[in-house]
Amino acid sequence: MTVPVIPIEHVLALAAALFVMGLVGVLVRRNVIFLLMSLEIMMNACGLAFIAAGAKWGQPDGQIMFMLILALAAAEVAVALGLVLQLERRFDSLDIDTAGELSG
Amino acid sequence: MTGPALTALAPYIVLAGGTTLMLLAVSFVRRGPVTLGMTLAVLLGTLGSIGFAANAGTQHVDSFLLVDGYAHFFTALFVLAAAATAVLTHGYVDRRAAQREEFYILLLTATLGAMTMAAAAHFGAFLLGMEILSISLYAMIAYPDRERAPLEASIKYLVLSGVASTTILFGMALVYGETGTMVFAQALGSDGSVLLRVGQGMILAGLAFKLSLVPFHMWTPDVYQGAPAPVTGFVATVSKGAVAALLLRYVATTEVLSLESLFFGLSLIAVVSMVAGNVLALLQDNLKRLLAYSSIAHMGYLLIAVLAVASAAGTEMAAETGMVYLVGYFVMTLAAFGVMTVLSADDDVEDLADYEGLFWRRPLLAAVLAGAALSLAGIPLTVGFIAKFYLFAAGVQGSLWLLVWALVIGSAIGVYYYLRIVFSMTKQMEAGDETAPTWWGPATVVVLGAAIVVMGVYPTPLIDAAREAIRAFGG
Repeated sequence: MTVPVIPIEHVLALAAALFVMGLVGVLVRRNVIFLLMSLEIMMNACGLAFIAAGAKWGQPDGQIMFMLILALAAAEVAVALGLVLQLERRFDSLDIDTAGELSG
Repeated sequence: MTGPALTALAPYIVLAGGTTLMLLAVSFVRRGPVTLGMTLAVLLGTLGSIGFAANAGTQHVDSFLLVDGYAHFFTALFVLAAAATAVLTHGYVDRRAAQREEFYILLLTATLGAMTMAAAAHFGAFLLGMEILSISLYAMIAYPDRERAPLEASIKYLVLSGVASTTILFGMALVYGETGTMVFAQALGSDGSVLLRVGQGMILAGLAFKLSLVPFHMWTPDVYQGAPAPVTGFVATVSKGAVAALLLRYVATTEVLSLESLFFGLSLIAVVSMVAGNVLALLQDNLKRLLAYSSIAHMGYLLIAVLAVASAAGTEMAAETGMVYLVGYFVMTLAAFGVMTVLSADDDVEDLADYEGLFWRRPLLAAVLAGAALSLAGIPLTVGFIAKFYLFAAGVQGSLWLLVWALVIGSAIGVYYYLRIVFSMTKQMEAGDETAPTWWGPATVVVLGAAIVVMGVYPTPLIDAAREAIRAFGG
């Protein structure tokens, strides 16, 4: 049985689409939880692109980078959720705009 | 991994091991002075092991890290800056957080991340160093748990810095897809395809964000203002210094700026940053925000050194410029935020109006802040002048005329608001009898203030150290 090969361009296009969706989410959403989810989508888009690139060259490096990205995303979310708890406790809201003491 | 490679890694091993020991220690002993002592001991040990590591010469640790004189130079700089931050924090964070011990651990991990960035020779090390530094900083910024502004600043920094990191990551993936390698030295490929250009552009844009260059500077004033004063000093120096060290090495080894479009884009960013940073700083009444905009301009100046890599000035001159400039920038920025930290022991003293008549109330601190301001403006006899002179020389040597003009115009505007700080401090006022609650904070800023003048009058040792360090650079 032959496995159909997915062209790398298609995977990169999907990764780019996910990346842009995440970026738009970060720019548009005001709820901190959704901001973090959008950020996570962007990170996974990068991971997908790395895996596609690794598959193109037949190297494990792409997948290793994906594991590094996973670990770092987990660390980042751990800190971020701690901040979200503080935000909820202090401002009674998860809307990023209520925390607007600093003039932009 | 071979013996010499392990020797070369000694500073990293000492710092990582020391941090682990401290994690254990703070679960038994929770006393501020003890933790501070251990932090300084770990940092001193790291500093001492650099000499030992230098015996191994330039070492490639697989293809991951390149531990050479350049990396050791920045390691020493980051460790000293971290030590100054640790001492200044003592007495500042205590009054603002219930538990202060973890702050020092975060400070050490952040320093480890910065050191890794200065030695990175591979996208993996680049990513790890950058994220170890950033994630430590998120927690450090939000550390004071009785105030709102730090929390807000931390969330802003986390989201925006996360976007920058993912942009860099996506760029790395594109470059890897085109070249088949993640080692810096081969990251340009041969044909310069569209995807490769896009990837390299994304990496540079993400780095520009971390250096808070226009148009990626929006986060800077808010984070500077919201973060605790000693952490702001750390973000302004070590965090930006690590990115700058990595950018210099990246540009020198990949020769990415030989792509015309990227060279042009980065030049444009540099000019706009120098002008916009200085102009916006004129409008500020909060010293932290003023220094934030001034740092945007200073990072724009620094890009002259980065761009000089791809010009007639050559890699060595560019690296030497970058190193001397960063040392000067570290000393004067830490001195400015150090004075702010010492004055803010009880309540935050940030508005420019609060500094009126400081010369009559706290002459020593006022003198250091004045020295830092004059040095940031680039007045002769300060290290800021030496740093700017280097940039000027590199720009002229590399025929980067547009950038040199922007440097001159930016500096001219800058003199106005730096002198504004000095003049507001000299306003006549009745002499008060304020004394510092601690002696170590003022002592640190006086040392930094002395360093501004000493390195400004007698810069030879600094220049020699930089030259010695780059002898193996780029190899």
